Amino acid sequence: MRTNQASGAALPQMSNESFLTLFMVGVLAVIFAIACLVVPNFFQARNVLNIVTNNWFIIILGIGVTFLLITGNFDMSVGGVIALTGVLSVWFCQGANVSQNVLANGLGLPYILAVGLALLCAVGIGAINAFFIARLKVPSIIITLGTMMLARGIAQIITHGAQRNTSLPDEFGLVGTAALPGTNIKISVLVMVVLVLLAFVFEKMTVSGRRIYLIGANSEASRLSGVKVGRHLASLYMLSALLAGITGILLASEYKAGVSNRATGYEFDALVIALLGGVSIAGGFGSVLGMFVGAIILSVVTSAATGLLLSPDWQFTIKGVVTFLAILAQRFALDRRK
Amino acid sequence: MGPVAPQKAAWASKEQEGKTVSRTSQESVRGRLERSNALRANIKRVYIYVFLVLIVAIFSVAKLGQVEMFGRGHFLSPNSIVNLLRSAVPIMTLAGAFTLLMISGYIDLSVGSAMSLAAVVFALMIRSGASLPASIAGVLVMGIALGAINGFLVMKLRITPVIATLVTLNLYKGIALLIVPDGLSAIKGTAEAPMPAWINDYARKDVLLGLPWAFYVALLVIAALVILQRKTIIGKYAAAIGGNRTAAELSGISAVKMVWILYAAVGAFAALAGISRASYMSLGDPLSGDNMELDCIIAVLLGGTAFSGGEGSVAKTIVGALIIMCVTTGLMTVIPAYWQTVAKASVLLIAVILNHLLVRVKA
Repeated sequence: MRTNQASGAALPQMSNESFLTLFMVGVLAVIFAIACLVVPNFFQARNVLNIVTNNWFIIILGIGVTFLLITGNFDMSVGGVIALTGVLSVWFCQGANVSQNVLANGLGLPYILAVGLALLCAVGIGAINAFFIARLKVPSIIITLGTMMLARGIAQIITHGAQRNTSLPDEFGLVGTAALPGTNIKISVLVMVVLVLLAFVFEKMTVSGRRIYLIGANSEASRLSGVKVGRHLASLYMLSALLAGITGILLASEYKAGVSNRATGYEFDALVIALLGGVSIAGGFGSVLGMFVGAIILSVVTSAATGLLLSPDWQFTIKGVVTFLAILAQRFALDRRK
Repeated sequence: MGPVAPQKAAWASKEQEGKTVSRTSQESVRGRLERSNALRANIKRVYIYVFLVLIVAIFSVAKLGQVEMFGRGHFLSPNSIVNLLRSAVPIMTLAGAFTLLMISGYIDLSVGSAMSLAAVVFALMIRSGASLPASIAGVLVMGIALGAINGFLVMKLRITPVIATLVTLNLYKGIALLIVPDGLSAIKGTAEAPMPAWINDYARKDVLLGLPWAFYVALLVIAALVILQRKTIIGKYAAAIGGNRTAAELSGISAVKMVWILYAAVGAFAALAGISRASYMSLGDPLSGDNMELDCIIAVLLGGTAFSGGEGSVAKTIVGALIIMCVTTGLMTVIPAYWQTVAKASVLLIAVILNHLLVRVKA
């Protein structure tokens, strides 16, 4: 940003943000090339498509998490919100008084209404986050870890710690499993692409989008220049919860079940892809596009690890190491540029 | 006090004053403010003890219809008190050092994973024939190393504490999962490699009043940390760094060294907590420390330590830890287990609100 303005229109120079995104695209290309050489059957059209589409849920979460991270805040509650909305949508939708089994009886609402109410509850969790963080100024990590427990805990109460998957109407499984006509790409992937594009436009071309950067760069200065910081943060938290809610609805529909321990650890994955994409917690830096690149890097690395027949237990370690390397590499690249 | 304090006071007085401008009304407002501050300071001093007594009282009368007071199955029966204290050992061991770290304005979210990793390594060492002291010493050294890695990432590479320790949370947990062979859920005794029965000696065997060694070690740790905080310069240094790191460094405190040592200490006590968990369960479960960081945060917040560091008390954190243990074990007798998570989350949110209302008032 700064370099962009300083150099002026005569000699347009890339902003640090675009530089970092390009840098990570380069890293992605290198990792992808290595994976193609080392892992058997890696370079195949179907596998490459899977790498882009398989992580749609993490990418949707990543949008909200990225915006919040740019303002200097965390949202660790997204995994819990996915479980909550999934379970709620199932519970609202299950037939009323159809069985002796408590877990088979729901409220018998129509699907659309059930989804609407579940999303409303998701936004409610976001509103709790917003109240504590924007109004009471409590550190976001503490509150969102708490609401993560709260959301997952409510899901556990509704499912008695297990899951609800019976007496559901047929239309419940439609959205999550249907594919686009003529392809085997799921509707969920389309939702992800549309949301990423919308988020990109919001981030680059709207005033509210640009204000996110201002708040992250200097919250006090933006408050003094008339930006309503609290209100912005509040709407971002509700947006993030809504995106997690949409993900929860789609996942519940895909599996036709509301599982209380669904999406455990997704909040960490969403954070990891944002960090891989160059978002900085120091504030005011990062982009949705970078997050998308980060998601694909993570996807390539994990699917290469699976291709090399490493046990799934390696996932945690790989993610940790890759994140540290990315943070250090990005800092090194930016330092060299100056 | 941090930079927030004067700002907050200004905000409070502005709200109290409203639109009045006359001097007399300002003076009466100031008097009222001082009185309300004194009241809040008093509440702040005692509320956590009141909270603990209240919770114990509630659980004591909860099932009085079905069980006799202090009798079998009652919340305050000798058996259940011993059980509660035994299961409180890990958090009592860990929460003190965690408090000191939070007072200095830093956080370690990886404590649960460090604990799990320690439990797995401890069980593995005992099973492969190492003696109890050797295993404890080895795991403690590992704990110090794990904590020092956190300290290195945060203080030397200057990665934000939350992110650095969140990543090591997954890293340490990943290593613990990798150590446990595929298809097994924990390191435990098998036909070829039986787990010696004396693995229990540390955290289950009755030494005094029905309580094991691990409990008395935890008491010793708490006593040492309380003295360290109240009577030595270390406690003041931690508070100074948390209050204003630049000012602390300008007055000659090496913040890097100090916080690094605190991270290493938290790692060591997390390892000790993992040892007692593994010794109690006779196995090394790679998920045994999950969510420990949340329990620690709740205990610290209940104990009135400021979110951003600068003030707090080790002793009160321990009371907070006892409150959590009472709530979790007490609730188990009253409501189904799947209510636990919501109960804990509610305690966390209540702790945050109490903390918001009461901290930042000069006692």
